[in-house]
Amino acid sequence: MRVRRFAPVAVAALVAGLLAACGGGSGDSGGGSDEKASVTMWIYPVIPDQATHTAFWNEQVTAFKTSHPNIDVKVEIFPWAKREESLTTAIAGGKGPDVVYLIPDQLGKFNKMIEPLDDYLPADAKADYLDNVKAAVTLDGKMLGAPILTSSNPLMCNAKVFAEAGITDYPETWDDLLALAPQFKAKGFDVTNYYADPAATLNQSFYPLLWQAGGDVFSKDGKKVAFDGPEGVKALTFLKQLADGGYVQKDLLTSIPAFEQTNVAKNKVACTWQHVPADVKTFWGADNIKIFPPLKDAKSVGYGTVGSLAMLKGSSAKKAAGEWITFASQPSVTSAYETKSGYFPAKKSAGTLYASDPINSAMEKTLASTTVGALNEKSREVMGVLAPEIQAALIGKKTPEQALADAAKAANALL
Amino acid sequence: MAETAQVPARRTRRVMARREARWGLLFVLPAFLLFLVFRFGPAIAGLVLGFMDYTIGADAEWTGLDNARRLAEDPVFWQALRVTVVYTLLYVPLTVAVSVGLALLVRRGFRGVGFFRSVFFLPVVTSLVLVATIFAWVFSSDGPWSRILGWFGLPDDSWLASTTLVLPALALVGVWSHFGYGMLIVLARLQDLPREQEEAALTDGAGPWQRFRWIVLPQLRPVLFFLLVIETTASFQVFDLVYAMTGGGPARASYTLVMALYDQGFKYFDLGYASAIGVALFVLTLFVALIQRLALGRDK
Repeated sequence: MRVRRFAPVAVAALVAGLLAACGGGSGDSGGGSDEKASVTMWIYPVIPDQATHTAFWNEQVTAFKTSHPNIDVKVEIFPWAKREESLTTAIAGGKGPDVVYLIPDQLGKFNKMIEPLDDYLPADAKADYLDNVKAAVTLDGKMLGAPILTSSNPLMCNAKVFAEAGITDYPETWDDLLALAPQFKAKGFDVTNYYADPAATLNQSFYPLLWQAGGDVFSKDGKKVAFDGPEGVKALTFLKQLADGGYVQKDLLTSIPAFEQTNVAKNKVACTWQHVPADVKTFWGADNIKIFPPLKDAKSVGYGTVGSLAMLKGSSAKKAAGEWITFASQPSVTSAYETKSGYFPAKKSAGTLYASDPINSAMEKTLASTTVGALNEKSREVMGVLAPEIQAALIGKKTPEQALADAAKAANALL
Repeated sequence: MAETAQVPARRTRRVMARREARWGLLFVLPAFLLFLVFRFGPAIAGLVLGFMDYTIGADAEWTGLDNARRLAEDPVFWQALRVTVVYTLLYVPLTVAVSVGLALLVRRGFRGVGFFRSVFFLPVVTSLVLVATIFAWVFSSDGPWSRILGWFGLPDDSWLASTTLVLPALALVGVWSHFGYGMLIVLARLQDLPREQEEAALTDGAGPWQRFRWIVLPQLRPVLFFLLVIETTASFQVFDLVYAMTGGGPARASYTLVMALYDQGFKYFDLGYASAIGVALFVLTLFVALIQRLALGRDK
């Protein structure tokens, strides 16, 4: 029963000390040809090396300034960890950026705070996006972000581990992986790894298995969850077989140790779908990295993200922010960004970036087998209730059926 | 004559007292205003938000008892409540017992007593996140605790990975980081106690336990009541330790009420529901404090 409606400003005044202001849109559209405007963009270590990353954006800001002398752009690079909490508190305090880097499920989560970009991006720029990429950032017909990169998490195997174990056949299906598991274990290796700590995103861990089994996270209309169907049970049972058999590193089921301490980094894991070449190159050596299509059960499908620049409603310089986003998402900028960071194009006109790089070229070929999943406003909340239940099943506290049913009950209450 | 001279003197004293009171109020005013704006205001706002549906970037809507109903039906809330209560039951008695025990040990003046008092208090002024990071390693499967257990033939799995042992592990770390404060409070009271009764009991042949049980402990009652209330409130509000050591896992075995509040407020932006959890926590704390007062503090 809703009896009264309060303006966010009134509430914000009440919560002084906790939440300073609601960060509602000011309606300003500074940055016109004669008007001075300032745009702040928050981005994260897409290029892991801080110096290279900073230099890249300094260069772009200088180039942008030549065509937009009245717009000052400030790019701030923050750590990946806890980025949503930082953004939330900044928005709540009225200190949010004008532009921020978000992936699709974050676009869903922050959608009430995001200014759709349909009116800010030129028509030809919008038409140039790959169809699946554009769909990944579109909610209720509105384009919430301007994609600047895509990624793929296919199956990646360590040739050194296969050689040391004396195994020559690489897995293609779940059954292959289960058949190889005891052989690797006998030689002191894990056939794969699995991060079950709820702090790890399900996008890269459980969801690919769910999709491979033919299931999905949400129902078609997005009003109920669908992960508790037979496909979900099959995926979780498959994982439980790996955990119960001792075929994956036990610590990863309950914690996320430093990467150096994981069996993947120690060259003790045969194959993984939860890391990309950039993570393992220094530990495995480039020659040992072998890229394959995502594992297959009912179908072969893996997770691939779409990184995009989104404008916040609270921006006081929306027009200027729109011009900066248009500039930063054009292929000449994004191609350079993608090659420096090891990501892949979001636009048709960018073509192939890695013809002479065997690893990234192989990765690029798997892009067609990836998905970000359905964009849903409650993606992150659903992940929040599902992840601990998956963990409970894997450490033996619940059956897969019970864990998924409990998670579905809690998740449906959120939708 | 003398009586008529006393009247103006009394009047002058009253005027002075009133003037002093005014000045006193003036000096108290800044602190009072700060309290009003930064403590009382947010608390009232939190209470009001508990009856609303509010997320950042949208209008807040009055929803009455919807959040309370949702709490009643939310298994995650009940699990968080259960975890919080179990943690409190482990943490509070242990903290009070260790505080009293160590205060008794360092009560008497002996060579180096100042050093021991300082060392025992050191964990209180150590960053809890630092403590949590170190103890997360101590209790990990590669850490010293697992190795010690292994020497005695006990299971050497990480306590933080066990749904049964994670709360005892957290409680132990909580006690380690807090007992110094309790020790200080108890020690201050112990040093105030008159020694005559203990000396008389000693002369009558009472042993150390008898002297503690029948003479010292009854006199510690007000301090113990204070410690119980403070430590119970702290344990109901435990967050940083859990956040840094386990994140609420494994499988929500250490997921406390404040973790639930944090997730709802800052992960899912459901500030109305997060505030409702805060209100439930307040009611719970108040209820337990009243019970403690009835049981221990009614005479004081």
